[in-house]
Amino acid sequence: MSNNKLFTTPIDANVPVVNELVFEQINSQITDQLNTGVLVLDADFNIVLWNRFLQVHTDKITDNIIGKSIFTAFPELPQRWLSRKLSSVLQLNTPSFCSWQQRHHLFELPHTRPITTDSEFMAQNCTFLPIESDTRDRHICILIEDVTDACHYQMQLQKTLAEIAQISRIDGLTQIYNRRHWQDSLEQEYAKARRHDKKLSLIMLDLDHFKLLNDNYGHQGGDMVLIEVSALISALLRVEDTFGRYGGEEFAIILPETDSAGAMELAHRICRVIATTPLTYNSQVINVTVSLGVAQLSCNESNYEELITQADSALYQAKSQGRNQVCSAPELVS
Amino acid sequence: MSPSVLICDDSNMARKQVLRSLPQEWKDSVQIACNGAEALTILRDNSIEILFLDLTMPGIDGIGVLQGIQKLNLDCSVFVISADIQPEMQSKVKALGAKEFMRKPVQSDALLNNLQQHGLI
Amino acid sequence: MNEFHLTEDQQDCLQELINIAMGQASDQLARYLDTFVYLKVPSIESVEASELMITLSQRKNTIAVVSQGFFGYEGIRGESLLIYQEEDSGRIADLLGYEPDELSQDEQLIDISSILTTTFLNVFAQQIDNQLSYNAPKLLPNVQEILSEHLQQMPFTWNLALKVNINYQVTDYSFNCNMIILIPETAITNIKYVLDRVLEEF
Repeated sequence: MSNNKLFTTPIDANVPVVNELVFEQINSQITDQLNTGVLVLDADFNIVLWNRFLQVHTDKITDNIIGKSIFTAFPELPQRWLSRKLSSVLQLNTPSFCSWQQRHHLFELPHTRPITTDSEFMAQNCTFLPIESDTRDRHICILIEDVTDACHYQMQLQKTLAEIAQISRIDGLTQIYNRRHWQDSLEQEYAKARRHDKKLSLIMLDLDHFKLLNDNYGHQGGDMVLIEVSALISALLRVEDTFGRYGGEEFAIILPETDSAGAMELAHRICRVIATTPLTYNSQVINVTVSLGVAQLSCNESNYEELITQADSALYQAKSQGRNQVCSAPELVS
Repeated sequence: MSPSVLICDDSNMARKQVLRSLPQEWKDSVQIACNGAEALTILRDNSIEILFLDLTMPGIDGIGVLQGIQKLNLDCSVFVISADIQPEMQSKVKALGAKEFMRKPVQSDALLNNLQQHGLI
Repeated sequence: MNEFHLTEDQQDCLQELINIAMGQASDQLARYLDTFVYLKVPSIESVEASELMITLSQRKNTIAVVSQGFFGYEGIRGESLLIYQEEDSGRIADLLGYEPDELSQDEQLIDISSILTTTFLNVFAQQIDNQLSYNAPKLLPNVQEILSEHLQQMPFTWNLALKVNINYQVTDYSFNCNMIILIPETAITNIKYVLDRVLEEF
């Protein structure tokens, strides 16, 4: 088919014909000025040709490279894997690819932005192309594209996205989970517990007389208390528990695979630790207490919100019975 | 005298491809089947000397037709023309009595060569 | 019936070309993998974009989709999507002749996809006197929602998609995947032109 040749005789007789020699020179100069590595191998994986890009980036001498096996010239290459890949190109006569996303680089080449990237080598996209010639000799052309920039920006983007995701889950003041994430977690834990018929308990707690604290010590004093109390409680929890700031001075803890006895025990411990740990603010000692409500998942609740309501009622009970104490939801019933 | 010929393939294009490769004088005595079941009916009711048979067809496939021919004990030269060209498939159809195996798209000269080799032209 | 629908003859011609391409590709693959590849008749259907969107989004257990663009002369271009179910991905390294620790699961999927797509399309192109080039295959991230999003975000509008269901079974274990070839509107017109030319030769 005529349209798959690049080199063809011009139709217009006035256009000077470029002869094959000139054409070849043009081609080889383009190859040398490409900002992409070009490496051609024979069917035994010996290097037949390379371009200037590779020469300058590898700092190797052409005479030491041409005719050598690619695995001798570039000992860093994973030989078994790459041999199989190269064979597929020859045997199936199809191109093959290798992306930096799966393998950061194949060839250990330095890159041109050495300070801002985390790898010392150039990130690469490699393409392996089958080359057919008139002589029936089979060759493979390897194109090595420098994608260090793309790789760098992609990494930055991923890091930033992860940071944003983290920030969106965290309460800025106390550094524990915010209400939205806490509630999402409860929804998931609720579904999980229902599906696998597992236990699940909830603790809602509230600082006692917080308004008074703010009045006596100012809002910064109040903030300090919120931060310290969050830290004290965090230290008492297991990794699988989810601790969040539910409202101003209200906190909530999800306890997966925990029955009400376990939840009560923890609630009492929290109550005791807070009450017996004096906090200092501006060299003044502040004593704080908390009231806690505990609820355990039973077959009565039809959604996770009902579990919150129960724990909340228990908390209200603890408040009305004089604060600095724990109440559990079943006690309300009795 | 031109022999009675049956071309069995579910693809119209493939049937035409076989048809145009046949000797000119045969073309009037060629019958067509679009699937294996049709082919077996024609084979039973007519004495077909040469069958060009595709393998992958809906319903009764080429293998099914070959088995049917054996069961009916018909004297018919079968030339399989298939897209599935793995060596295992080639030996399977030969074992079922096919004279030759040709790969798709069928080439006119290859087809004529095969007919010649089996003394059919 | 709109202008992008294939006529019965065109459909038949395309089916035949695809059968042949699939047969030769499997033969090549069997030789390369040094095993017998049992080839089922590839089921081929052309589907409306909207239908495909629904079919794909209803599929459960899809674990991975690998996309690869292709382009050739005469405006033939498109994108192949290889879709894997959870149970199909276990032994691809084995199948390809790699040691499992030589490459990640992602790379295995990308590798086998590229081989399936390019062997098949190369033979297909050969039959219509064409030659195709390929983009690097890409694993689409987080398959579940992303697939329909990906289809919606494609830079061209396409009405017709050619869905080729491939089922490869390899001697002692089976390996299944679906190949879907998406063809943009403009390329459909070009394919119809090429099919008509092939048909004229008969």
